[in-house]
Amino acid sequence: MLTPGTRVNRLLRFGGLGVALAALLITGVVAVGALVAGGYDPGVALGALVRGAVGSPEQFFSVTLVRSVPLILTGLAVALAFRAGVWNIGAEGQLYAGAMAGVWIGLAAGDLPGWIVVPLVLVVASTAGAVWALVPTLMRLRLGVGEVITTILMNFVAIHLVGYMVHGPLQESRGVFPQTDALAAAARLPALIPGTRLHVGFAVAVLLGVALWLVLRGTVFGFRLRAVGQSPAAARITGRIDGKRVILVTFLASGALAGLAGAMEVSGRTFALYEGLSPGWGYTAIAVALLAGLHPMGVVAVGIMFGALEGGAGAMQREAGIPAAWVSGIEALVILAVLAAGQGRKWLVQTRLERGRPAEASVG
Amino acid sequence: MTDSGAESASPPSVELEAIRKRFGPVVALDGVDLEAFSGEVHALVGENGAGKTTLMGVLSGVVRADEGVIRIAGRPVRLAKPRDAWAAGIGMVHQHLTLVPTLTVLENVALGVRSAAWGLRLPFDQVRSRLDALSNETGLSVDPDVVVERLSVGERQRVEILKVLYRDPRVLVLDEPTSVLAPQEVEEFFSVLRGLASEGRTVLLILHKIDEILAVADRVTVLRGGRVVHSGVSDTMDSGSLARLMIGRAVAAHEPPRPSEPGAELVRLEGVSARGSKGEMALRDVHLTVRRGEIVGVAGVDGNGQRELALILAGAESPEFGTVHLPDTVGFIPADRLGEALVPDFDLTQNVALALTEAPRYRQGALLRWGRLRSATARLMDLHGVGAPTPAVRAWQLSGGNQQKLVVGRELMRSQNLLIARNPTRGLDVAAGRFVKDELRRMSRSSAGEEGEDPPGVVVISSDLDEVLELSDRIFVLRRGRLLAVPEDRRTREFVGALMVAHAGDPSE
Repeated sequence: MLTPGTRVNRLLRFGGLGVALAALLITGVVAVGALVAGGYDPGVALGALVRGAVGSPEQFFSVTLVRSVPLILTGLAVALAFRAGVWNIGAEGQLYAGAMAGVWIGLAAGDLPGWIVVPLVLVVASTAGAVWALVPTLMRLRLGVGEVITTILMNFVAIHLVGYMVHGPLQESRGVFPQTDALAAAARLPALIPGTRLHVGFAVAVLLGVALWLVLRGTVFGFRLRAVGQSPAAARITGRIDGKRVILVTFLASGALAGLAGAMEVSGRTFALYEGLSPGWGYTAIAVALLAGLHPMGVVAVGIMFGALEGGAGAMQREAGIPAAWVSGIEALVILAVLAAGQGRKWLVQTRLERGRPAEASVG
Repeated sequence: MTDSGAESASPPSVELEAIRKRFGPVVALDGVDLEAFSGEVHALVGENGAGKTTLMGVLSGVVRADEGVIRIAGRPVRLAKPRDAWAAGIGMVHQHLTLVPTLTVLENVALGVRSAAWGLRLPFDQVRSRLDALSNETGLSVDPDVVVERLSVGERQRVEILKVLYRDPRVLVLDEPTSVLAPQEVEEFFSVLRGLASEGRTVLLILHKIDEILAVADRVTVLRGGRVVHSGVSDTMDSGSLARLMIGRAVAAHEPPRPSEPGAELVRLEGVSARGSKGEMALRDVHLTVRRGEIVGVAGVDGNGQRELALILAGAESPEFGTVHLPDTVGFIPADRLGEALVPDFDLTQNVALALTEAPRYRQGALLRWGRLRSATARLMDLHGVGAPTPAVRAWQLSGGNQQKLVVGRELMRSQNLLIARNPTRGLDVAAGRFVKDELRRMSRSSAGEEGEDPPGVVVISSDLDEVLELSDRIFVLRRGRLLAVPEDRRTREFVGALMVAHAGDPSE
């Protein structure tokens, strides 16, 4: 009875996987072409990329997975917001807000035992991320100002505030470099696997991915969040859902996740704050979230994949003499391919619909 | 071209021959032949799913036929894209509206106009004067400078029709154009259609209401199960024979409304005033009580405060002034099925859940009990005859009738106290509309069957006067935000219809 409809359903369900594969394929072809055109040996370059990403346990745990932590957390921040129709482009700024607050409390409370300081750092940083998101949230809910612009602008504020902090109030006590003092051992995240640089932040990120997945799937709030994202009018009129409240909670939670990413970076990887701490995690997060189809578990998988790309970049630079900027270029290509493939999927489904009109056909 | 006389002298302006269209295993059109001539109003009728919309899709280039020939004015054409249909002189007014909500009426119309200035500047002045002329000529009046999203569904449909008429098509195709018009407006609109036909155009329209079909159509083609079961001059038909042709059996005459025995008071609105989306006073000093066991009908043309009254009665919005007493749960059937009643991309279980997230039975703390929701949805589908193979299909995949059955069933699950319904049968075929009306009447009289249970109260807010007259125990008219009671002895089509249409220069405003 419902063959055309179920076909479209299957298309929608497996389309996500197809889109991801198509995006990777297109990216691969274009990247190889660009490497050849640039005078590099693509075999050597891609070999180095793979070795750098997954070539050894050391590379995989200490580089790839470590870099995936901020990507997963900011990716979750973006995916959660987008599911509710909140276009938070400000994960970058929220990450920096978290990093600033985390470093500050970590330095101030570094004398306390680790089981107090570390949670304190994470909580304060998440709060700071949420506070950073509060400004665009209130501007949207109270004044009706679109959050796309306000979150981007808040990114600039955060980035320049970091510059001020590390040149001024938070500068290291020697006063030489524009960075903070290093965090005391008590304020650093414990290792997840001893002997590697992988810290517990990775486990926290993955667990948060699972938790968000369960929240969206099973809870009343998660269901309401999806309803508000899908159809604000139906959510309000049929669901009697307070859309503003859902947006408020979601926006702040999204900011908190991005702020947590900042804390994980300073407390787990760099142990200090400096300008350019993030090579744009908060923006890459948008690609991660979209490529993952806004699914939390997908974000974890895609975050690890992008972490591998980042990890491979260093090896490409060392072994094949290719500037790391190439990898940024490849990431940008992935984003473009995702957008193109996503539109392609939409087009595919739409033409099926127009030709198939399953709405009519399903009742024969 | 003009007054070419007998039909036999010129080829049909639209001729379909053995059109076949299959969607997977479902045959939507099974060898359909159709002839329509210039100068005639031709009605295409049939149940939901009979193939009317698919056939219209074929004519407008949206659906490609698998087999068959289409001839326009005698010449075979290929209609692969909507643009081909336009080029062939076919103008389609869609049931699903295709306006840009953030643009004004004028801008929306101008969008479809080819400009001589290299497409750099839209000819607004020219469009405005022609739009004014068209409005005057057709009686479809609308303010050209209003942003479309502020218009009601009915007003948007008028714009949609004007937009198509603007291009001066030789064949005008309309999908259910009357569903949002007041009776007087329908009369006027029909004379517009007859006028357009008498200028040599062909007017092809899908209609559901039998008396409208008989009133306007010169000829009628009846589709059933993807085949033409009858095509002929409307003069030879009456409502009984037409209904039999459409559904393949005789329709039982509906039972007359049984006098109600109103019970306890459920709703009390006192001096309620509320603002609409434009900030204007959409409701002014409305007083209304609703008791258990009665159906209160509120007739009126959309855009006169219907939306605001419905949302207040449903408990979804609060008024600016006045007091509102409502029962703790209220079921609500909104006017816009896929925009407000259902989330199109959610499956049926999720759509049922949307209304029940507060119901203790379907929650466990912060968690939703999806198991219970799934079985409740399956039961609901059985009980109300929702035609879908499983609750896992998405809402947009259902036909309008099945969507509405799902909504009605769901809202009955939500509340046994009060049900607010806006245009509950709009866009439904005779059988589905009958089903929904019977359901509403049955529930308002349910005390007869279920002992001890007090029946709920029902408020039907509708622009369909016949629906209101047929269902209601008490009737009001909502016009320009004021609620006017209709005296018991003046429940006639003429009296209520006259009240519905607000005349310009009404001194009371």
